Amino acid sequence: MHIQSGARSDLGRVRKNNEDYFAIEPSLQLYVLSDGMGGEAHGEVASQLAVQTVLTHCRQGENSRTTPIFGEASPDVSERTNRLASAIHLANRKVFDSATANPDQQGMGATIVAAWVDAQRLSIAHVGDSRAYLLRAGTMDQLTADHSLVAEKVRVGILTPQEADASELQSVLTRAVGTKSTVEVDTDEQALLVGDCVLLCSDGLTRMVTDPEIASTLLTSTSAQESADRLVELANDNGGADNVTVIVLRVDEKSTGLFQRLKIWNRNSG
Amino acid sequence: MSRLVLKFEGSELKEVPLGTRPVTIGRAPDNDIPIDNLAVSNYHARVYVEAGSLVVEDLNSLNGSFLNEIRVERAMLKDGDAILIGKHEILVDQAHDTAAPEDAARRAPAPRVSETMVLDTVERRKLLDMAVAAGERSQLAPERLRVPTITIMRGRTDQKEYRITGKLTVIGNSKMATVRLRGWFTPEIAAQINKHEDGYYLGRGDRVPKVNGSPINGLTKLKDGDVIDVGRVRLNFLYRE
Repeated sequence: MHIQSGARSDLGRVRKNNEDYFAIEPSLQLYVLSDGMGGEAHGEVASQLAVQTVLTHCRQGENSRTTPIFGEASPDVSERTNRLASAIHLANRKVFDSATANPDQQGMGATIVAAWVDAQRLSIAHVGDSRAYLLRAGTMDQLTADHSLVAEKVRVGILTPQEADASELQSVLTRAVGTKSTVEVDTDEQALLVGDCVLLCSDGLTRMVTDPEIASTLLTSTSAQESADRLVELANDNGGADNVTVIVLRVDEKSTGLFQRLKIWNRNSG
Repeated sequence: MSRLVLKFEGSELKEVPLGTRPVTIGRAPDNDIPIDNLAVSNYHARVYVEAGSLVVEDLNSLNGSFLNEIRVERAMLKDGDAILIGKHEILVDQAHDTAAPEDAARRAPAPRVSETMVLDTVERRKLLDMAVAAGERSQLAPERLRVPTITIMRGRTDQKEYRITGKLTVIGNSKMATVRLRGWFTPEIAAQINKHEDGYYLGRGDRVPKVNGSPINGLTKLKDGDVIDVGRVRLNFLYRE
């Protein structure tokens, strides 16, 4: 299978700084997105530092198996997924240390969502309210659970999703990268299938565009980059109240050789 | 119009109109009726309309909610009822039933938090404690203590039984498969099971699996005892002690 990616980050229609940041490492099939906070341009510092740290740490992990693991490795997930979580633990430490060392950066932090594809395995790790979605066979599922006050209340059943959407407390996070010396990182794994589409996005998209609108945009685009562009335009058309950043991955068939065609034939007949 | 009146030692502290949305009562400041007292849980109780009746529901609070001096988990309310929470009393007043603008108080402009901020650890801890309490109540916790297993009922696989421990369990003939299917033309990834915070979810692979006879649509949460069909293989999802 082959991963086609597209991405776009935009200021939106209201904000003066873009505190979102993203990076793609094609050779590793590693995709990282972060939404910074902290005002006075320090949100930008936090999101860039977080993303760069994740890339660097994952690269080192690939080059040398002796690269230390930060945080606790879980027996429930693959080595790659543990490495990705380790990278976010390290990013947390770096942002926190920077904010501690520079009094003017006090309070800065960031969300982060990262995807790493290894053969057919998709590793996801996240902190905060930036999300990962998986669109598969026409159905879109959110792979990440937001670390926000309203989302946690919905999960324990004291708030309905409708109330959450209307809440004025949507921006209150329960976890972020860099605001404490340690952070809890959530991970997920999926076996990827040809035809899958994975979306990473900041809340600037999901506050402006509904899930069905997102799904239909992904379904009707002809390339990952077109999806990314259209999603950002949609967020801006709907008000663009915040910075908006998206990374779109499409899983394509690698070749249509005889063996592949046999398998397709088998799938259609099965 | 109907309203709730908060009273403490006989004096009226606050009144809240009853609209279509639930009214929450608790110690956390974002409740509709916040009560700053240690005897009151963060999210202690709520009052809402269900099928035309007014209902009070205790949110698994530590010290309980009392309706006319009887501890209740959930009870129907009528005009004049008194809910006791800690030392505070909340009176149900449905006598004012005039066509007053519904939800007027709620529609008042609320300060909108547009800048992202992070809750401090203490607040988060409270929320997690509440989540744990809710989890225990919803019977999720016992399932988590047991080990999920897959037993093969029919079809060719490399084992007869599997313990599901990882976040991702692939069913197919791929190298990454936990449940290895045998035979010609079996798909690399026929189906998959993903472990989430609240349980195990079945997802499709190159096949659309069936749960208890019905093809799944998107990620589907598995229940104890579910029978899963993937191609010609039939599996049983069970929680074992």
